[in-house]
Amino acid sequence: MEHLPQDPRPWPVRRDTALQDTVLQTTLTHVTHRLNNARIAAYRHYPSGEAARIRAIARKREAIQDWSVLLDRAEEEITAHGGHVKRAATPEAVGAYVLEIARQHSVKRVIKSKSMVTEEVQLNAQLEAAGLDVRETDLGEYIIQLAHEKPSHILAPAAHKNRQQIQRLFVDTVADAGEEVSEDIQELTRFARNKLRQDFLSADMGITGGNFLVAETGTVVVITNEGNADMVTTMPRVLVSIIGIEKIVQDWDALEDIIQQPALSGVGQRLSSYTTIISGPRARESWEGPDEWHVVLLDNGRRKIHGGPYQDVLSCIRCGACLNVCPVFQQVGGHGYGSVYSGPIGTVLSPLLGGMDAFGELPSHLCTMCYACQEACPMDIPLPHEIISLRETAVSERREPAAVRTQYRLWGQAWSTATGYRRSVTAARLAQRLAIRRVGLAAGWLHTRTMPFVSSVTFLEDWAKKHRRGSS
Amino acid sequence: MQPVYLFVTCMVDSFRPEGGIAAVRVLERRGAAVDFPADQTCCGQFSFNAGYHHEAAMLARHFVQVFEGSDGPIVALSGSCAAMVIHEYPSLIADDVVSTGGTTLEAANWKNRAVLVGNRVVELSQWIMRFTEEPSEIPNPVISSALHQGCHMRHLLKANVEPEAVLRQCGINPVALEDADQCCGFGGTYSITEWKVSTALADSKWDSVKQSAQDHQIACLTSADLGCLLHLDGRQSRLGEMFPVMYLAELIDRADQGTLMEIRGRSVKGGSHGRDTSR
Repeated sequence: MEHLPQDPRPWPVRRDTALQDTVLQTTLTHVTHRLNNARIAAYRHYPSGEAARIRAIARKREAIQDWSVLLDRAEEEITAHGGHVKRAATPEAVGAYVLEIARQHSVKRVIKSKSMVTEEVQLNAQLEAAGLDVRETDLGEYIIQLAHEKPSHILAPAAHKNRQQIQRLFVDTVADAGEEVSEDIQELTRFARNKLRQDFLSADMGITGGNFLVAETGTVVVITNEGNADMVTTMPRVLVSIIGIEKIVQDWDALEDIIQQPALSGVGQRLSSYTTIISGPRARESWEGPDEWHVVLLDNGRRKIHGGPYQDVLSCIRCGACLNVCPVFQQVGGHGYGSVYSGPIGTVLSPLLGGMDAFGELPSHLCTMCYACQEACPMDIPLPHEIISLRETAVSERREPAAVRTQYRLWGQAWSTATGYRRSVTAARLAQRLAIRRVGLAAGWLHTRTMPFVSSVTFLEDWAKKHRRGSS
Repeated sequence: MQPVYLFVTCMVDSFRPEGGIAAVRVLERRGAAVDFPADQTCCGQFSFNAGYHHEAAMLARHFVQVFEGSDGPIVALSGSCAAMVIHEYPSLIADDVVSTGGTTLEAANWKNRAVLVGNRVVELSQWIMRFTEEPSEIPNPVISSALHQGCHMRHLLKANVEPEAVLRQCGINPVALEDADQCCGFGGTYSITEWKVSTALADSKWDSVKQSAQDHQIACLTSADLGCLLHLDGRQSRLGEMFPVMYLAELIDRADQGTLMEIRGRSVKGGSHGRDTSR
């Protein structure tokens, strides 16, 4: 199994499909604008929020730097509370461990709260292949699970669908024969809630991701806007929390600042609607909670990033703010990226986790280098520079066609001298007179736009004429 | 007279020399003694953003050599190119010195030279706001213009009040576009290598301009970055439309000369130099 699932369709197909999908274009604009405006308003109405954000960045960067010690500490604490910790290096290791627990407990039905890391390791496919029933309980994840699709937005997985499509999907998949399903959003939500209630009551195993792992107490913190994680963590007999190792946070003091950031930047709230705190399995005196709690700490390429030039991406809190401001994301949506991690963060993270062979085209083709993501990122991850750096890697690994490399080389050589620059401007002028403008790098421009002409007298030539004595 | 060194940028030089000539007039009217270091070429951002850092560093070193040794502001006719020199040059050049076998001392020396040059770089509207006196009263606007703020001007230079303020001084009412902070899709070579997405973004930008035109009676679209305008204008021209598109320096120059009312169907392409034979 690959480290990161990849859409088999090549980029041009993904792009063209997205650009022609009118529903996608409408829903995407709506969702990204709503979330982005909410983010801006939330920080504006929270004057001390900026100080909290700055502290959050410092603490999160420290936690990543010291993650070995902190992960050991977290493991000790979890074990002391009666939990079990499994360190998993690969997607297969996660699948094998969860299936083993499922076998020990004769699990048939699994319910899950929203988790990007389980998307990353394709956990549902792994469990279903072994005959388990898996049900996503986050509304957006529920919708894409029924549609057999991948998330199109880190935070809003079904952002690409409108209510008419969702109504039809419910009718075609989960509605009983003859059951009416309304197109009204509240009614659709109520419908899903009723269906999900049955799944919550019949599940044997709950699976969560984890937004934070607090080292000092070995606590897993899950934030949701629907409260479904509360049900997932309390109702089934067995609970498994799967967490990327970069989710480590040193202590509750740091958490207080860091936990605000995904809420502020993701949905524009001071805090997410629900915060689910998991500290251990059900204690002898308590009447709710799972009999067993397993925590899987996933590497899957993260350790390779640590200590290198991209270490800052490990500070990502998956708020999705960079997606909501990205011009390319707004055009092609999450499915355009061919990775479960989309937008600017996905453009960096996907090739780092899944390799340049599979995802090398993301940095080259899905970024206009507008720097909007850098400004939006609450964790100050230098995404544009990381994207440029990945392009540089592609160049140095000779992934670009030889003809393109040559053009850049010649261009650089010519334009680093005044004479070479003047000659090439003259050559371009000549080329346009001879109407040979469909060659080279410029050809792409002409498909959809008229080409500006190299002026018959450039500024430089005009200046030299006017200032004859001063010219060289 | 304040000495000012003009960094005309490769795009204005080749595609819109009128923009550079207008900028010189704008600067001189405001008391600048304009010098144009004639050996300048291009800032190298095209290569830098594409990941060709050695090539970009060659251009960066050339730029530093051309502009160092003088004193006084370097006025860039593009917010994006200004940001490249200010923000990228020091580490770009220093890294390249090291990776091509230079010593760390040489790298530090080059870095210092790049920082000194970068500290002098300002975009044209920034120069007007920083180095000239504001008029005692703002004139009544003669026209309104939609203002497209280039992304590097917005996010890197953070020069988000200057173009508007300059337009107001000139009797032009600046109108911010809906979704003004959205990229127009130009992105340097992105406009060529990924022309479909680039064009989709241009079309979104034109939707906003048209909305503005309906709501505010704007006479034209302007920007401090010619690259964005060439891309947007090339798009409307291909679609057979001709909404006036004016490079910022030329718009200011017109305001100075009192000819704002004459803006009709002007485009930044020029077009007097030949037919578009490639269609």
